[in-house]
Amino acid sequence: MTIRGLILVIVSALGASDLAAQDVAARLAGRVPVDVARAVEAIATDAAAQGLPVGPLIQKAIEGGAKGVPGDRVITAVRTLAGRLKQARDAVHGGGLTAASPDVVEAGADALNVGLLVRHVSDLTRVSRAPFDPAVTLRVAATLTALGIPPEQAARVVEDVIGSGGTPADVSGLPAEVQADLARGATPGQAVERLDRAGQGDGHRGGGAPPPPPPTGGRDKKPHDPTHKP
Amino acid sequence: MTNGYHPLVKSVLDGELPVEALPPELRAEGEEALRLLAALDRTPVTLSPALDERVMAAVRRHAASPARRAWRWLNTSRDLEVRLRVRRWTVWSGALAAAAAGIVVLLARGAAPVPNRAPTVTIRRGAPESVFVRFVLYAPSARQVAVAGTFNQWDRNAAPLVPAGASGVWTTTLALPVGQHQYAFVVDGATWVVDPTAPAIDDGFGHRNSLVAVTVRGARTL
Repeated sequence: MTIRGLILVIVSALGASDLAAQDVAARLAGRVPVDVARAVEAIATDAAAQGLPVGPLIQKAIEGGAKGVPGDRVITAVRTLAGRLKQARDAVHGGGLTAASPDVVEAGADALNVGLLVRHVSDLTRVSRAPFDPAVTLRVAATLTALGIPPEQAARVVEDVIGSGGTPADVSGLPAEVQADLARGATPGQAVERLDRAGQGDGHRGGGAPPPPPPTGGRDKKPHDPTHKP
Repeated sequence: MTNGYHPLVKSVLDGELPVEALPPELRAEGEEALRLLAALDRTPVTLSPALDERVMAAVRRHAASPARRAWRWLNTSRDLEVRLRVRRWTVWSGALAAAAAGIVVLLARGAAPVPNRAPTVTIRRGAPESVFVRFVLYAPSARQVAVAGTFNQWDRNAAPLVPAGASGVWTTTLALPVGQHQYAFVVDGATWVVDPTAPAIDDGFGHRNSLVAVTVRGARTL
């Protein structure tokens, strides 16, 4: 590379970093206190320098501001998320995906957030070769865990579906299957057992009648009055 | 005034039973019902033979009116062919002008803060598709309900739910970009409530957020 090319690259990088910082400041303006915005900007700049996605950090700060969370807790949450994104990026690398997209890294961080371990993220990334999207695979495992399936079992179920010749649609349909079971009164453990049976060919997946549809993401069902502070 | 005939009497009125088949205690009621039915005017209505002609004449008059013709002309789709002949330097100068405008906009954004209400709801890169998602919350004691999440920058005022009558059910439908979103309901402008029927995760602030995945095939639990 010539000297002129090197200078051009450096100037471009500095310009991009400056624009990114300006973007963070602009997106946080009026949503969080100035000192919080400044701290988040520093965290985001550091994250960007490590090649981590910045969008989730800004979203977390905006969320904290909207929820009226004290500034120091917002900064702590953003810093924690930045650490989790780095952990996820490393885990995804460990799974053989050296050029992970921001979406995959964010999905990995979400998976870690719900309780999946670094090795789960690595293993799920490793088995998610085309046509499987590692971001979807990780999100499915995370959602299964959020539905009450223990992380170990959630990761195993997803890996089993991929390993047994399932399709990407089979993987992305797992949470809906579990939610339908839970809506019928099954426990998370029973839902996993049914998924296991389905994986062995006794159930719906890969043939037969599909399970009853879940209550459209839960949003069409009339539940109990949940008006309480979470 | 009677509130209704006995089912057996109704069967007689429907022609399913002869009045003689009724038990003695219902016989009088059945005969009375038949008498009333017989008093109805059942004369068949004969339409005038000229009715069809009159109706069709009115339709033709309506269709032939100048206003109708003009409306039809305006509404009829036509194929148009537009040919544009440009010189290369025109294209290049246009591209340069667009690039310069982009740089100016970026610099301006850096100098002045963007207003809070900017509806930048693009969460997932490269996901231009949007899908309508219905949100429902049962909150009978709420005075107002909204849904806020990653899709609307957690704006408590951006997506209010409306009450479905007096049932206590609040609902709204939003067009969300494809991708996974976190959200929560905001009750009475202050209380954050998870969707009790959707999976939820720790929000990092000691509460929880609900999850919804929007795919090109619709919203689902993912």
